Formats: sequence, C-alpha cells, structure tokens
Amino acid sequence: MVDQRVRTIAEDAREEIERAATRRELEEVRVKYLGKRGALTRLLRSLPGLPAAERPVVGREANEAKARIESDLEGRGTALDGVERRARLAVDRPDLTLPGRRVAPGGLHPLTQVHDEIVDVFTGMGFAVAEGPEVESDYYNFEALNIPKDHPARDMQDTFYVGGEVLLRTHTSPVQVRTMERQKPPVRIICPGRVYRRDADITHSPVFHQVEGLAVDRGISMADLKGTLDLFAREMFGPDSRIRFRPSFFPFTEPSAEVDVLCFFCKGGGCRVCKASGWLEILGSGMVHPRILGAMGYDTEEVTGWAFGMGIERVAMLRYGIDDIRLFFENDLRFLSQF
Amino acid sequence: MRIPYRWLREFVDTTAGPRDVAERLTMAGIETSLVGEGASELSGLVVAEVLDVAPHPAAGTLRVCEVSTGAERYRVVCGAPNVRAGVRAAFAPPGAALPGGRRVAVATIRGTASEGMLCSEAELGVGEDASGILLLGVDAPVGGNLIDYLGLDDAILEVEVTPNRPDCLSIVGVAREVAALTGGRLRPADCAVRESPAVTTAGWRVTIKDSELCPRYAARLITDVTVGPSPAWLAQRLRAVGLRPINNVVDVTNYVLWELGHPLHAFDGDLLTDRHVVVRRARPGESVVTLDGQTRSPGDAMLVIADAARAVAVAGVMGGASTEVGDSTRTVLLESAYFAPASIRRTAKALGLSTEASYRFERGADIEGLRDALDRAARLIAELGSGQVATGVLDAYPTPRRPLAVALRLERIQRVVGACPPRALISEILRGLGFPATEREGGFEVVVPAFRRDVSIEDDLVEEVARVWGYEKIPSTLPSGALALTRRPRHMVARDSARRALVGAGFREAVSLSLVDPAHLRHLELSPDDSRVVGLQNPLAADRSVLRPTLLFGLLEALAVNVRRQTPDVHLFEIGRVFEGRGAGSLPREETHVGIVLTGQRAPRAWYAARARVDVFDAKGAIEGVVEALGRGEVGAEPAEAPYLEDGRAATILVQGAAVGLVGELHPDVQKAFDLPAPVFVAEVSLDAIAALPSRVIQYRPLARHPGVQRDLAVVVSTEVSAAQVSRAIEAVRPPWLKRVALFDVYEGAQVGAGRKSLAYGLLYQADDRTLTDAEVNRAHAEVIERIRAELGAEVRGADEAGGVEPAPGGTRRHEGPRPEAARRTAAGAPRRETPRETE
Repeated sequence: MVDQRVRTIAEDAREEIERAATRRELEEVRVKYLGKRGALTRLLRSLPGLPAAERPVVGREANEAKARIESDLEGRGTALDGVERRARLAVDRPDLTLPGRRVAPGGLHPLTQVHDEIVDVFTGMGFAVAEGPEVESDYYNFEALNIPKDHPARDMQDTFYVGGEVLLRTHTSPVQVRTMERQKPPVRIICPGRVYRRDADITHSPVFHQVEGLAVDRGISMADLKGTLDLFAREMFGPDSRIRFRPSFFPFTEPSAEVDVLCFFCKGGGCRVCKASGWLEILGSGMVHPRILGAMGYDTEEVTGWAFGMGIERVAMLRYGIDDIRLFFENDLRFLSQF
Repeated sequence: MRIPYRWLREFVDTTAGPRDVAERLTMAGIETSLVGEGASELSGLVVAEVLDVAPHPAAGTLRVCEVSTGAERYRVVCGAPNVRAGVRAAFAPPGAALPGGRRVAVATIRGTASEGMLCSEAELGVGEDASGILLLGVDAPVGGNLIDYLGLDDAILEVEVTPNRPDCLSIVGVAREVAALTGGRLRPADCAVRESPAVTTAGWRVTIKDSELCPRYAARLITDVTVGPSPAWLAQRLRAVGLRPINNVVDVTNYVLWELGHPLHAFDGDLLTDRHVVVRRARPGESVVTLDGQTRSPGDAMLVIADAARAVAVAGVMGGASTEVGDSTRTVLLESAYFAPASIRRTAKALGLSTEASYRFERGADIEGLRDALDRAARLIAELGSGQVATGVLDAYPTPRRPLAVALRLERIQRVVGACPPRALISEILRGLGFPATEREGGFEVVVPAFRRDVSIEDDLVEEVARVWGYEKIPSTLPSGALALTRRPRHMVARDSARRALVGAGFREAVSLSLVDPAHLRHLELSPDDSRVVGLQNPLAADRSVLRPTLLFGLLEALAVNVRRQTPDVHLFEIGRVFEGRGAGSLPREETHVGIVLTGQRAPRAWYAARARVDVFDAKGAIEGVVEALGRGEVGAEPAEAPYLEDGRAATILVQGAAVGLVGELHPDVQKAFDLPAPVFVAEVSLDAIAALPSRVIQYRPLARHPGVQRDLAVVVSTEVSAAQVSRAIEAVRPPWLKRVALFDVYEGAQVGAGRKSLAYGLLYQADDRTLTDAEVNRAHAEVIERIRAELGAEVRGADEAGGVEPAPGGTRRHEGPRPEAARRTAAGAPRRETPRETE
C-alpha cells in the first residue's frame, strides 16, 4: 500500500505534466514537485522525522514516485518539443525552390579551356611544354625553318614586322628551334602560345593561339605521327572521331601532311560546317625537314622527327560551333559565361 | 587555278570522272574542288547563221534579223551593234533556257515579233561582255548545239597549288599528276612547228647581260601577222579559266601559259630598235610604261628586257606599252625565258605588281621546257593563220642546267614513313611523275626533271612516293622511346595557380588582342615614339599598331564593350604578356602580367544579397588571393602615383618587400576616355616578378591544445597613420603568447573626432603548454596597449575597458555589408574563450 501523501503528489504531478502545454509550463511543474522547495523534495526532506517503521517504505515509494515524475517530465518534454517544432514549422517554411545562395562564379576563357585540354592530352603522352618569345627574329621564325628570304612560302604567313630583322612570330615553331638548339634528342615537346598574322576576317584574327608539337628521336616515323594524332583526336573530339592525312606543303616538313578530322556535325555525311566535304581541316604536320635537323647539329641518318601545329581558336570554333573568331577577343560576358 | 576537265583530258587518258579526279588530286596534296559541273541551267541553245539584217520599222537602234539554224528560220529583233549578215552567232530560240532560269519566248518588241534572241557573252553567263552578241567562228556548225561547241557544260576543277609546285600551275602539270595517280597515259602537247622557209631570224639578236638573273632567253619571230579576234573556241577556253580574250596573238600566249605553265610575252617586233633584245638590269633613272599604263621605275636591282635603245618590259613581270601587240602589228617577237625566282619576287614586291607571269617565275619556271612553250605558241599562231613562223630560234642559254640525280633508298622510305610500298610500285610512281629512275642496290637512282624545282634531296622523293602511294596506307603507331620528365615549367604552374585563384574570387578571364591603339599610350604618359614602345611597321589598322605595354588597355576595352551592351557589373582578369622595347635590333622584354579590372556592383542582384559597389579593396583582395595561391607570403602596399590612377587612391603592391605592381582607382580622365560610366578599380602585377620570389616552405606546426583568449583593441589614430603602421607597431611588441592579430573594423566619425580614425583589432593570446590565466593575458595585453600608445601617440582602448571598441553608430565604417563575425562583442567585454582551432 502506498503512502497517501506520496500518492497525492504522484497523481497531481502526473495530471499537471499531462496538462502542461509548453516547455515553460512543464518546467513550472518540475519546479513545483522536484524543485528545491518542491512538494516531493520537501517530502523526501521530511523523511528523517517520520517513524522508523514508516521511513523505509515512504522513502522507497517517494523515490519511485520521483523517478516516475522525472520520466514523465522527459516524455512530456519530448512530446512538447515535437509539438512546438511542428507549430514553428507550420509558420516558418523556407521556399526551397528559391535559388541557392552562391558566390558569383568566375570562369576561364574558352581559349584557355581548350588550350589546357590540348596541353593535357600531350603532356599525358609524355610531351614537355616549352614556350618562347612572341617577338622573334627573322632567323628563328623563318630562316632556321627552311623559309629563306624572297621565297614564295613567306606568302603563306603574312607577317607583322617590328623593324629590321625583328617580327611578331607567325607560329610557335621558333620555340622548336630554340629547344633543339639547347637539347640533344630525344626531344618531345609541345609549344603553346600566341602568334600573329597580318590577316583579319571572321575566321582569321591578327592575334591568335597555336599549339605545336615536336618529336625527334631514333626510329620516329610518320606512322608514329599518325598514331599520336589519332589518339589526340579521340581524346579531344570523342572516341568515334577519325582523322585522315592529306599530302600538303610546309617548308619545314618533308613529307608534309594536312590532317582532317571527320566532321563531328554530320559524321562525314557532308554539311554546312565542313562545306559538304565530310572532313574538317584541323592541323598541319609532317616529318621535320632534314635541313632543319642538320642545322641543329643532329645526325639525320640517326634521328628523324615530326612536328605538327594547330590553331586553338580553330579547335574551339569547331568544337563549340562558333562562327566568328572575333568573339573570342571581345570578352563579352554573355559569350564568356557560356563556357 | 581553274582547269576545265575536257581541256585536261586532252593531255591525259583516264577513265576517272571530274569528281574522282578532284578527290584523287586532293588526296595527293593538290587541293581541288569542283566549281561547275557544266552549265546545267542552259538548254536549247544553238549555233545560228545570220542571213539578213534589216532596219526595225519603229526603232532606229534595233534591227530585224533573218536567222537560220539550218532546219528552221527565225525572225529576231536585235539591238547589238555587231550583228551583220553572214556571221554565226549564239542563238536562243523560243523555249531555250538562259542562266537564272530565264526562258526565251516569242516577244513583241516595238511592234515586231521576235522569235528568240541572239545572245551576248553576258546573257549566256560565260563572260562579262554585253556590248554585242557573241560571234562564233566560221567553223561553228550551223544548227549545232552551242553548249557542246563552246564546251559550256565542261566541269571546272579549281586547283589550289602550294608554293612548291609551280609545275601544277598548268593543265599539263595537273594532267601529269592525274596520270601518275590513276595510271592513265600522259599525252604531251604537240609542239611541232611548221617554219616558213621564206623568213628567218637572220638579223635578230638576243644578248643576256646578267645570266645570273636570266639564265636562258629564247625567242621566235612571227612575220606577216594579222592581229584580230581569236576564234570562239579559244576565246571561250580563256574565258572559262578566267582570262580575258584580247587578240589572237596575246590570247595564244595566255592559252599556252595555261596549258604548259610557262609565261610567254609577245613584242611588236617592228618596234624593237635594231632587232636586238638585251636582257639587263635597269639603268638608274630608267622607266618603263607597262601594259597597264603605269610608269614603273625598276631600279638597278631589277631586270628589264630592252632593245638597243631602251627598256621595253619589266622582265618576268609585265610587258611594256611601247612594244605592245596591236591591230597594226605585222611582226611579233615571241619571248620564252627563265628568270631567277628570288629576283622576280623582289621586283614584283617592290613594284606592287603580281601577274600570272611573275607568280610562276617567282615559284620557278621550267628552264628546259621553255622551248616547248615557245614552239607550241608559234605553232598555234601559225595554225590560226595569224602569221608565219620564221625559221630558226633565238636561244641564249649560256650555262645549261646540270641534270640532278638523287639516290632513293627503300630503307629511308621505311624509316621516314614507317612503311614502304613494293619496289615495282615505287618505280611506277616515279615514272608516272616524270622522274627517270634506275634500279640500284637497295633503291633507285632518280633523275629530277627540270620542272620539279621542289625536289632536291632524298626525302623530297620519299614524299613523292608516299603521297602518290597514299597516306591512308601509312599505319598508325605510337612512338616508343625513353620516358622523359614532362612537368610543366614553373611559370606555367604559377599562371595556372593565379588563374584558379581569380576564378575562385569570381573573376571571368578575358583574352584580348595584344595589339593595341597607340592613342591609349598617353594614359601612361608614353609617347608612341618612345623606345620602350614596340610598334609595328606594317599594322593592319592604326588602332592595332603597338604591342601592349600593359594589360589594362585590353581589359578596359572589354569593360567598355560589356557596359555598352548593358552588362554594367564586370569583374575581369587577364594573364598575358606585355612588351617593353629595348632598342632597335634587339627583341623586346616580354613579361607575364596579371591584370584585373572591376566596375559596378560587387555581386549580381539576388534575393539574398546586399547590393554594394566594388571598391579598390576588391581589386587588392584579388591580388592578395593570387599571391597567397602562389605561396609567396603576404601583400603589402605603399602609396604610389601613376598617371592613369586617381591621386591618393593608388598603391604599389609589395610582395616580400619587392614592388610587383600597382592597384588603385582608375583616373576619371581615363575612365572617360574608355567611355566607362562608373568608377573602375584596377590592379596589374608582374606574375614573373612574383614567381621569381622564394615561395613559402610549408612546415607543419602542432595544433594548439589549450584554449586561447581573444582580446579586442581599438586604436584611435590620426587618419595620416596607416593600418600597416599600426599592425607593424603591434607586431613589433611581440608579447609572449600573442598568436594572431586581426583588424576587424575601421571607423571614422563623430565618436573619434575629425581627422582621426579608429582601428579595431582582435588579438588572440594562447600558450602551447597550458591554459593562460586572465592575469597573464591582462599583463600581456596591457603591454601591447602601452607600447602602441607610446609609439604612435594613439589613443588605445582595450576591449575590457569602459567604452569598449564598439564605436557609436553614425560614423563611416570602411566596409560595407553586414559586420563581420569578429566584431560582435561578447557580453560585458569579458574575455572570450576560444576553442583552439586557429593556429595562425
């Protein structure tokens, strides 16, 4: 049988806990019964004054009641938390369709992106990157590349002159020469950079960018050039892409080849972009002219080499379907932010 | 160069059609496209004979012609001045189709019915002449198909010839390629001349004074010449390839030029003084009036053709007006010569005159084949009945060309190409291309024909074999060989780090032309003539004529473009080279810079964002981010002046004490010059200079294990005192346990008084081995306060003192937007316990 006082406290407490509608009310209940001057606390404190026979029983019952009240308080508290949270959520509902909070994004120029991708493919194949001056001497830009003065091949690259023998490089090939002057074979480099030609229309900019490659070693052949560019085309334009080699002329290569990639718009069927040919001209290449290797002090019976060069703008234009090269240099944010 | 397919077929037997021929040529290195597959629009056109011409009853300029096509007769009204009875002409009877889908029908012209029309070149779409009807030769079959007769349905191959292949600037040259590629037989041009026994070249002389510039000069004499229009077939062939018919003599020289690729020239022989042709350099002051009516002064580096008295032509470039063949010409001297390519190129460039002749001579003509061209032309003139060919050839050839033989090893083909066709196939290819080859051990001995000036070494032959064999037969392999180090050079790594930092900071990368407008140089107080400016001798446009000495011009132009196009908030950067001249003859200095420009709002309009305009600290912060990304330490600044920056709002950027660039607010004058409406903030630093500084060595420091104590400090100083000075003063004290000093607020206003400002710092005290007591922190903090007071004469308030560091509202805070977290004070200025997560 339970002590009447304990029972009254326990029952009252349970009832009041049930009635508490907020955390604050619940706290008041706790203070009323379990606080320093709470009913149960006072009862427990009065135990020593009770008769010895009653004392253990009331004490146990009071402690049991205290445990129950505490557990009820906790249970009710948790329930109230849920209620309160739900009530709060009912009025405070974020609209998650609002755009997320962002730091305004910057971005790399499409030419940089394409440049980085090309450079990545070739560094992955074991090519080192080499750079050189944009303002060059006639010697490095032409003479050392088997393009003598008064040669019609000079018409292929309309040149800006600074004065005397100083000019703006028309290709990054001078970097190849400068590298070979310093380094004995094997040489395996790519030369990205800015180049200049005196030409301006919607597909030609007087300032544009190239990536050239050079490999000189024993046993390097045109077949390796083909394989390397095949791999490049698949990395750059997708696994289905195909290339073809077409004989051409460059003063610094012999034999020379123009490389076309299967038009990725029509897949060879013929369209406006490829002018119905099914192929897109993408780069020039060939075996380095023995006269150039010889001038570098290389033994042309020992080593052979190949080189290629492509325009970054051209690759970017084909890839993104851009029809006016000037867009690259206007830096209109509506253009830049598309890449 | 335009090559009519049928004309081509006269020189090569092949079953390949025009489309196939174009494809094969392209895949052998001669880019060829098909420009016309016949005049498919034309139909029903016939050769007609004009039987009778009568005046039109109602119109004085019109005539009524009786026209016969053999089977039928038509009455045709015609306004052409050259219509007369007896001529054969191009006729479109009713129902015939003309270019542009135009159908001919019976029409009534000024009251008279016209049954069809006699057509001009222009009406047929075969030429530009609209002055009269197209008259046909007496050989034209009346009633015959005009399209067949004129070859109007012939496909035209447009051939793009690379500079190394002048031999392909001719129908025969292309025919030779086609023969080699398709296995067809090459048919040489018929060059047999019937010389007239009655006349000889006796009394005529050719003298070469400069055999280096003119190694060979041959000529033939044609007498009893009757100059007149060329027959229709010849004129039509010239028109089809884009040449304008002139007269029977000049047309033949052009015809042979096209066929054999060798430029010829016809002089009026009777106008050559003393029947003497002298090939010599021009005399000082000498001039020639060329056929285009211009007076040319060649100068003594250039070669002229002269007679005994004067220069009569610019050798290899253009003939002279004084000896031009015209209606009254009775004697023609036909020239077929070889001139040194470089000399012709220099002359043509110097005179600004590029002709069909100079174009071929500068690429290299056929010194051996020039006689064939001469004979072929003489033969055609005789055939046309335009003159008699005198017996004998004047041919000055002092040092005949020595034949060139080159060894070709199969092993070399294999080595260069990576594959090698069978020996028999190589032999066939060489023969097809006109290279006599003899079998040798391991290969061939190959004789290079004179028309292939591009071939001189073994690899040239390797290319000939490979390209005719077909590049598609070359296998695809990957190079083998030793692995090499392929790390990107340090400056490229630095460039990429800088790019990433700026993109992360919300900047878009710009790429601008490095050729800029010299007018912008005034913003740098630089004259375009300054030796530091690198200018172009031959710019495309005046506003793109100097190499940029700064990235800012391009970036400001980009800002202007965007602002003009309704994008007012722009944050751009560019990384690229700038140029500084080092005097004539030397290459300029090239340095990679990082430039940034900002204008407008800091962040795009968004529901969560406060709107604030960018200021100079956005620019400076971006540069700090770059330097940090490069691991080159902290960025310092000291006041600077620059002509393009606003006074008092510019600073030199210091990294490790070295000046690496400038940051500031763009001067209003420059802002106006670039048409920018809002203030612009810029920074430009040398990436090369920053990258050259030693980079931070990363050494791990153990994380603090004991809580630190944060104390705030407000330093009230004169506005003349810089934040850097205060920071330096605090750091100079170096009290024990001071781990971090962070400036978190800058205030100017009533609270601190005019001419003064308050800088609020958060200081973190922390020991590595224990938790500091309040007494220890207080002692250290008091020392800092004492030293700053003494050193800067500053009024210093510690956070725990009355008044705290929080200035009253109403002043100017040097930052916008919500206050940083650090500025929030803890209750009652009590020291804030910090969890030890920051170790800086």
